[in-house]
Amino acid sequence: MTPIPTLETDRLILRAPVVADFDAMAAFLAEERSSGVGGPMNRAAAWRVFATDFGHWHIRGYGMFAVEEKSSCKTAGMVGFWYPDGWPEVELGWTAYKGFEGKSIAYAAAKRVRQHAYDDLGWGALISIILPDNTRSIALAEQLGAKFERDWVSPGGTDAVIYRHPAPEAIK
Amino acid sequence: MTSIPTLETQHLILRAPCADDFEALAEFMASDRAKGAGGPANRSDAWKGLAMVIGHWNLRGYGLWHADEKSTGKLVGRFGFWNPEGWLGRELGWMVFEGFEGKNYAYEASAFLLDYAYNTLKWDSLISTIAPDNTRSITLAKRLGAQYQQDWVSPSGKASVIYRHPAPEVVQ
Repeated sequence: MTPIPTLETDRLILRAPVVADFDAMAAFLAEERSSGVGGPMNRAAAWRVFATDFGHWHIRGYGMFAVEEKSSCKTAGMVGFWYPDGWPEVELGWTAYKGFEGKSIAYAAAKRVRQHAYDDLGWGALISIILPDNTRSIALAEQLGAKFERDWVSPGGTDAVIYRHPAPEAIK
Repeated sequence: MTSIPTLETQHLILRAPCADDFEALAEFMASDRAKGAGGPANRSDAWKGLAMVIGHWNLRGYGLWHADEKSTGKLVGRFGFWNPEGWLGRELGWMVFEGFEGKNYAYEASAFLLDYAYNTLKWDSLISTIAPDNTRSITLAKRLGAQYQQDWVSPSGKASVIYRHPAPEVVQ
């Protein structure tokens, strides 16, 4: 299967998800806050999402990283690339777990994986797909320099907005 | 990550699920026959389902194989072990694609995997979870020696029946 690289920022390690990350993810997906990624959902459904993250790496060769906070050694969220069948382009996605919001963790992690996409993988574009009422996520997309591009409806029928990230040359 | 062994029965090769299987899988999942396997599902959900099946191997170290017909090389179905969060135990599952029923493949693969579970993996029990109206699957479970154990409702709220396979000492 695809080896998953480890990336680093001054405060974070972005690494392959492991079985031990499941509890933190299930707790997040049980919260109302997880509506942007299909939640809230029970533990059984969360396990299937978790398994899907692993399979995404295998099928696409890229996927979602677990974000670990160096100081606490805790899993703070997931950040990375998401491109299931029916998606318009590769998405840069993020989730920050409870207790890890407001610390610029999602921002730093998203910026790091975007740099990885542009510099290491040689990609030329990234979008983020966000629920129209998810103002925190939209604020983060804008903080990352992404701009509203259009409304979109997912294959599952969910209304969303697409934000386009600045091209590689624009953030050099 | 877990390496997935390739197994062989009289007419089938059981091998790791892979990205190229997606078209055949999407077609199956769009049909009414996919009811027992979480369908019918659109292409996007079918893709996530494939990723989830691969991720199950990562998380559990065992999972579902995709079966190719030796004589034609065609993907005929999916057989193996299934135990997502919230399940009652390790399940022996089977699913045969359109056009490949009535060839005894589900029995051939399942009988082989029952033996593999008991004698190679040294497990001591297996169940099968079946939709109550899926008479073909119930017939197969009985033919494998499994007996009705209980009604069950899955974590997602689906009514089903649990069949328990004979213990290793009975099969021997």
